[in-house]
Amino acid sequence: MVQTKKQKYLFLAFCLVPTFIMFSIFTLYPLFSGLYYSFFEWSGTSNTREFVGFDNYVKLFNDEVIPATIWHDYFLVATKVIGIMIMALFIAVALTQLKIKEAPFYRIVFFFPNIMSVVVIGILWMFIYNPNLGLVNSGLEMIGLEEWTRPWLGSETWALPSLVLPSIWAGIGLFMLLLMGGISNISKSYYEAAKIDGANEWQQFWKVTLPLIWPQIKISILYIVITTLNGSFIIVQVMTGGGPNNSTHVMGSYLYQQAFTQYNFGYGATIGVMILVLSLITVVLLQLLLRKERVEY
Amino acid sequence: MKRTVGERLVRSGIRLPLILWSLAVLYPIFWMFLGAFKSNAEIYANPWGFPEQFNFSNFVTAWTEYNIDTSIFNSFLVTGLGAALCLVLAVPTAYALERIRFKGSQMLFTLYISAMMIPMVLGWIPLFFLLAQFNMLDSIIGLSVVYAMSQLPFTIFVLTSFMGTIPKSLEESASIDGMSPYGILWKIVTPLTMSGIITVTIMNAIQFWNEYFMALIFLQSSENYTLALAIDFISNEAQYTNAWGVLFASLVFAILPVIILYSIFQRRITKGMTEGAIKG
Repeated sequence: MVQTKKQKYLFLAFCLVPTFIMFSIFTLYPLFSGLYYSFFEWSGTSNTREFVGFDNYVKLFNDEVIPATIWHDYFLVATKVIGIMIMALFIAVALTQLKIKEAPFYRIVFFFPNIMSVVVIGILWMFIYNPNLGLVNSGLEMIGLEEWTRPWLGSETWALPSLVLPSIWAGIGLFMLLLMGGISNISKSYYEAAKIDGANEWQQFWKVTLPLIWPQIKISILYIVITTLNGSFIIVQVMTGGGPNNSTHVMGSYLYQQAFTQYNFGYGATIGVMILVLSLITVVLLQLLLRKERVEY
Repeated sequence: MKRTVGERLVRSGIRLPLILWSLAVLYPIFWMFLGAFKSNAEIYANPWGFPEQFNFSNFVTAWTEYNIDTSIFNSFLVTGLGAALCLVLAVPTAYALERIRFKGSQMLFTLYISAMMIPMVLGWIPLFFLLAQFNMLDSIIGLSVVYAMSQLPFTIFVLTSFMGTIPKSLEESASIDGMSPYGILWKIVTPLTMSGIITVTIMNAIQFWNEYFMALIFLQSSENYTLALAIDFISNEAQYTNAWGVLFASLVFAILPVIILYSIFQRRITKGMTEGAIKG
């Protein structure tokens, strides 16, 4: 190449430096100074920032709301993983293995909620759960289960479980496609061999399909866990705002409340550090847990 | 092969949940459209049925009295600016990371990629004060920058994998013909990566159009509200004003561009999202 070293480095700098400066200012700096803020008590105005050492962390461990928010987050993680994986697996197998004519239609429809705004999803489901007008309660009345009707999002016991269904509703499509991609890559000869050995469809699913799409299953579970821990607070904020009586607060929505409505920015940052640490630990543990030899036939 | 009665039964038994789930997905969306054409009295009397006559007054009210027009404009602006800025920053970096050998290239790539997994919630508090210092708090420009940066790692990631599929020979022959590396990037690589650029831009645009939480934190005055914030505001207010029809009308405004994009670029969007998830 006819290019001097200097020219090469100049071009390299042109490509990398502006982007990296922006990335440092708007992503790296905020993350690190978030860690730093967690050692201060700060209501937002610059002259009242006070170094308090680990006081915020002590407060964190003594805050009664915190264990509840952690539990709520992991409740959502667990129910979403189970719900989404079972449904997405079922749909993916049905659409790929059973030669259904209208399969493309289902694929297009089931994916669509994945690209809807959380605001739209949240508001739609608030109506579905509406105690007087909502589909859920009128449906229950229609099949004669009046005693099961309740103000779903207004009840301390039922509000959190009620958030699971919209999350599953909105999440299935992506994982259905991921799993379908895995299944369609499995060579037909495995199924033929299994048939010759006398395996029925159910056994084929357990012995052939499932082990061979394990990588996709693993990725899906990790992805659901990460996106839930990093983003469950959005649907919470839209649908319940953490209420009633903190019964649906997750870590992120509690951070928002502490920092941006009560102006405890230092304490908010401490909650942020907790979210970061917990989600990193969870991802590492999960990766160890899900490690399973790749199957080769 | 002939199917037994039992197999047929299993097959229709499997269809039933598929049909039910499509209803569960489509009906609420369909119903939202219907609600936008109903009067308040109709919404109460017959919440889940058809309107007696379709009237557009909810749309007009949303547009004129609830400033939905400004919010739609703001949403388009933030989406366009954010997507454009993200591309401008991502394309050169993706090219350098994919094609130029230099020390630390792998490390830089890993740094960008790991930023996709980090919960940004922690960063939002300092970012709030940073934007205030730059006079970019409560501004569409500021929010566009934040949006662009939030999707930057993902965009770099998608573009590098697209650029990896371009044969190197084209760049080499252009270089022998005396084209500068800037020319190669602009005139050879960018057009050849266009498919990837379009895919990732559509996905970013949908993301920005739908985004709610960062807008909630970084915007304050109602004339700067994006559509998501305006809808959230109408929704919270509707408990007192009972403006349900207006709420549905604004939901329709919010979802229509997404439906249009999805119907045109369905394959690109689904492919882009699944590949992003697999490799990410």
